[in-house]
Amino acid sequence: MKANIVIIGGGISGVSIAYNLAKKGMKDIVVFDDNYMTGGATGRCGAGIRQQWGTLMNCKLAKMSIDFFETAQETLEYHRDVEFKQEGYLVVATTKKEDEISEKNVALQNSVGIPTQKLTPKEALTIVPHLNIDEVVSATFCPTDGHLNPFLMTDAYYQAAKKLGVTFFYEEKVIEIVTKDKQIKKVITEHHEVFTSKVVNVAGGYSREVGLMAGVDIPVFSENHEILVTEPTEKIQGPMVISFSKNIYCQQVPHGSFIMGRSDLQALHNHDIGHTHQFLDEMAKTAVNLLPPLGDLRVVRQWGGSYNITPDRQPIISDTDQCSGYYMGVGFSGHGFMFAPITGILLSEIILEEKPTIDITKLHIDRFKNKNLQSYETNVV
Amino acid sequence: MRIKKHPILEFGEQTKIHFTYNGKKMYGYIGDTVASALHALGIRRLSDSIKLKRPRGFYCAIGNCASCNMVVNDVPNVRTCITELEDGMIVKTQEGKGNVYETF
Repeated sequence: MKANIVIIGGGISGVSIAYNLAKKGMKDIVVFDDNYMTGGATGRCGAGIRQQWGTLMNCKLAKMSIDFFETAQETLEYHRDVEFKQEGYLVVATTKKEDEISEKNVALQNSVGIPTQKLTPKEALTIVPHLNIDEVVSATFCPTDGHLNPFLMTDAYYQAAKKLGVTFFYEEKVIEIVTKDKQIKKVITEHHEVFTSKVVNVAGGYSREVGLMAGVDIPVFSENHEILVTEPTEKIQGPMVISFSKNIYCQQVPHGSFIMGRSDLQALHNHDIGHTHQFLDEMAKTAVNLLPPLGDLRVVRQWGGSYNITPDRQPIISDTDQCSGYYMGVGFSGHGFMFAPITGILLSEIILEEKPTIDITKLHIDRFKNKNLQSYETNVV
Repeated sequence: MRIKKHPILEFGEQTKIHFTYNGKKMYGYIGDTVASALHALGIRRLSDSIKLKRPRGFYCAIGNCASCNMVVNDVPNVRTCITELEDGMIVKTQEGKGNVYETF
């Protein structure tokens, strides 16, 4: 088999890149994924979409992605509602220091057109009436943040890409990338040999391994982040409530269930996606402390998923001098789903050698050659 | 319907207790669950499906499904099949998914 490009990873980033390339007229695009669609990090994510970031690049990526999501269903001509709900993110500061940082972040977000406002604890109560404000110093609220169904959004891109002629192989693992003189020659999978000169690595939790297949050293690691979902109830909470100091994000999805997660600060760097009773215990305590009525709800399911993390917790969207024809959209540090539209647009521009929509030199893998990183994203749970 | 005669088991005299179901006075016996008492009185429709509002009755009887969820003493989403009946309980059919604010 021959292909113009092989995309490794059929999660949200992979389908978005495939769609954008095909829309621009590229033919013979092939996507491989070793799992079922949304079996990786996409289907395991918290389904939140936010623009409240602490670095300029993340703010820009998020804003442009939201702009796409607002009309995604029509643009992709999808037959179902993708459950995009814009009821905001309420970011809660519980320490003085966090309150000061949030002030700077609001100014940064406003500078690129993100409508974030700073709120007092009392004003926060008007948005989430059951919030426990005892420990809340201040809050920030962006009304255009929200929720989106990862399964439907991925399928929407997949269906649109398929209509444009993209070929997908799910449950088919890539075993080897054959290179010669730092040039891509061939991709070997469990069932196919594909002659190609271009490869895109959007393998999520396994992107480091897919890098090494072509001799590309990508400074990312994977870490398990756990999450749970409760039984559904009538709607009581519009926005996602998130606190970096309390280590929690929690939102009520349109179906009525609450989805919530937190980081394990001792998490090991590996491919574990299991779930633990320690998480259940800590998560329940944190959630009930901040949002007391949730204590009455039963947990129906919990699971884990990989965050693929870079040293500055901002994604790598670039080509590389380590191998010609090798491209990557990796290291989203837990936020690949919400950045997917812009990932697809930017990578398709890099691949087709067009001028990128925004200057993305700061997202290039080469930034890590300089040991003094210029910016670090603190707004991560 | 209750089994009164059984080839192996014996059912001694049981203590009657009272509760209300959607405002109506009902009775059961000590040892009943809310759902078993309702079932014995011939009440088959315990809840409605969330989306299409179709009737849901006594189904798994071990607290795994959500078929018997009702509002008991103002608490929504109570699994009545594993909740022991108490004298004076107020049992109501639940509308929708239940509002956690009512108990908060």
